[in-house]
Amino acid sequence: MAIPPEPLAEILPHATWVVEAEVAEVLASGPEAPKLSAPPGWTDTGQKVASQRVRLKVLRVLRGKDVQELVVDKPVAGYALRTGNKGPFLLDGSQPHPVILGRYGPDSYALAKLESALKG
Amino acid sequence: MPVRISDSRLSSLYATLQTNHARGGNEQIDDAKVVQLLAAVADGAGVSFDKALGQLKAPGLSRAEQVGIVQKNMSASEKKDLVQILDAGTVPMTPSARAFIEAVVGRATVSGGGSAGGTTGGGAAYGPLKISADQKNGISGTVAPGSTIEAINITTAPGGRLHMDDTMVIAKADNAGKFLGSLPDVKEGDLIRLRARDASGKPGDWVTIRATGISASDTRNAVVAMQRIGLTAGTAGKVNVENINSSRQVSEPGAKLQFTNTRTNEKKVVTLNDQGSFPEGFTLNGQAGDTFSVSATDGKNNTAFSTEAGRVSVPGSAPAGTGDLVKDPALHKDELNADGTPRFSKKTFKGPLFNNGPTFDDVKQGQIGDCYFPSAMAALAKSDPDAIQKMIKSNGDGTYTVTFKEQDYATGRFKDVAVKVDGDLYVRSYGGPLYGSSNGDTSPDRMEMWFPLIEKAYATWQGSYDTIGNGGMSSDVFEHVLGKPGRDMTVSTSSSTQDRVWSQLKKAVDNKWPVSAGTHGESQEALYTNSGVYADHSYSVLGYEERNGERYVQLRNPWGESEPSGNGANDGVFLLKMADFSKLYQTLMWAEG
Repeated sequence: MAIPPEPLAEILPHATWVVEAEVAEVLASGPEAPKLSAPPGWTDTGQKVASQRVRLKVLRVLRGKDVQELVVDKPVAGYALRTGNKGPFLLDGSQPHPVILGRYGPDSYALAKLESALKG
Repeated sequence: MPVRISDSRLSSLYATLQTNHARGGNEQIDDAKVVQLLAAVADGAGVSFDKALGQLKAPGLSRAEQVGIVQKNMSASEKKDLVQILDAGTVPMTPSARAFIEAVVGRATVSGGGSAGGTTGGGAAYGPLKISADQKNGISGTVAPGSTIEAINITTAPGGRLHMDDTMVIAKADNAGKFLGSLPDVKEGDLIRLRARDASGKPGDWVTIRATGISASDTRNAVVAMQRIGLTAGTAGKVNVENINSSRQVSEPGAKLQFTNTRTNEKKVVTLNDQGSFPEGFTLNGQAGDTFSVSATDGKNNTAFSTEAGRVSVPGSAPAGTGDLVKDPALHKDELNADGTPRFSKKTFKGPLFNNGPTFDDVKQGQIGDCYFPSAMAALAKSDPDAIQKMIKSNGDGTYTVTFKEQDYATGRFKDVAVKVDGDLYVRSYGGPLYGSSNGDTSPDRMEMWFPLIEKAYATWQGSYDTIGNGGMSSDVFEHVLGKPGRDMTVSTSSSTQDRVWSQLKKAVDNKWPVSAGTHGESQEALYTNSGVYADHSYSVLGYEERNGERYVQLRNPWGESEPSGNGANDGVFLLKMADFSKLYQTLMWAEG
């Protein structure tokens, strides 16, 4: 699903944590999302993939309590995570497992853009 | 199984039907259209398409004679094409049209004349699907051994974006033909639509059941998709009522909807047809500006129509001089409230159509799933900016006319379709356009207008922002702008395919033809995360380079940003090695400009 990421100004207020992190392990995956029908070759069909629970090794905390590891949930979305994926993660305050915000997870916003927004 | 048709004319005709169907149109292959398709098979050996069409349409011809005409020049590959259409086609067919094609490929015998009937849905090939008495422990029944059972809850489907055939597989029949499966969130009284598919993938006839045995009473009322109810002022005090997305349901089949005119308090009840839509020609008494309260019952719940599902208005209520110059296309369903009212307001934009002509970096995709459209328009701006300048003009009164090209189904020729729009665009609370915009200044007085207006006109032409905002192909957009057939080829990592794709890409770029490329879908996402390229997305192809024996493709993300690292400014433009392009992309699209 290739709609642009949500405007950062709309997502950032909901982020309890902003961390630079790496996926250390994919712990679990949810049920497969319903398959949408589309002719071959179509793009932007809105097809989503299953939710995941992943363990993040936190490299740097830009906002929120200082932690070294987090177990977080990736919602049903148009992207999937695998071990070794890294980048900035915006996380909400859900307990016990925060949910990853942003339509494309760590690929939603450039780190420089986030750092600038957090300073501002 | 995707439909792959080798005959170019048949492929083009079928692709048009597929596109219309996929865009939510009420497209189906009927007796008239099947003759068009079969004329593309009957041509050859000195017989032109037009001549074959004339032969098939000759008055008084029996169906058997028509079959003979088609079979006379049908090649083995064309026969395979027709089998593909029968077995894997996504465009619905009338039983008569299906029987005609089945007779041509030898699957069925012909009986009688032009309106001969035939098998419907392939259900005659094996035992019929039978469902057990109740659904207390799931959905069970019998069918031919090895068949898979597909089902959809058509009571709840109107609340989503599902078509009535967007099923999920719930079970597979065992060696004795018995099966047991379950659908999520089924409640007492829900309507469940099912069919079986045999081991070869051939689907059987639909069976619809009302779920029983789950609980003591039916407590879920029919769900109403308010956003699909379209009202237009007609003549003689009548308001026309239609399902503005007729390939999806308004509510469950057989549900009764009551419309109450809030001005006159007149009430009218309509029963939805077996497609969950309005019967043809359904009207209300009213006029432009009237608002109707809508309530529904499934026969068990809300039988007094006391609970309102929502309200819908007849456009045209704004006082003279303060309203729309031209009716605007409806928002995407994701931007509508539950009652069908917009979640975003509009502003009138009055910037120039062009700042120094159209360029690819003018284009910026908005919050809508139409990446194929901005990527196509940016590719056109790069390859053929004149085509864009010619297709849009200001009328000098706050309105603009955008001219698209549409293929005439009967003749295969393209004709002009002029669409008039005004400068009103949906905006966010802080003022920026919600959908497509131009890079740079997005203020109402200064934003360069060509791209958002052409996108708005495309939404108007196709039906709404919802119609264009659920995916598509750039090749269709090229066709609609240039009036030349859109082409596509599959990309893969095999070296021979890489060479063919590279050769085609170079040819298109060198000839200044618009080119775009689409990435893979959902099964590939894990490959995309951190790659800088996004899944299920369309990119403009701006050019190519060959350096030190390495091939590179120059691409642009229609977001106007977000790209693989190491490509300079974050403007969405990047170079990708051909080997990586072949892994990450699935389709190359172009049109001969």
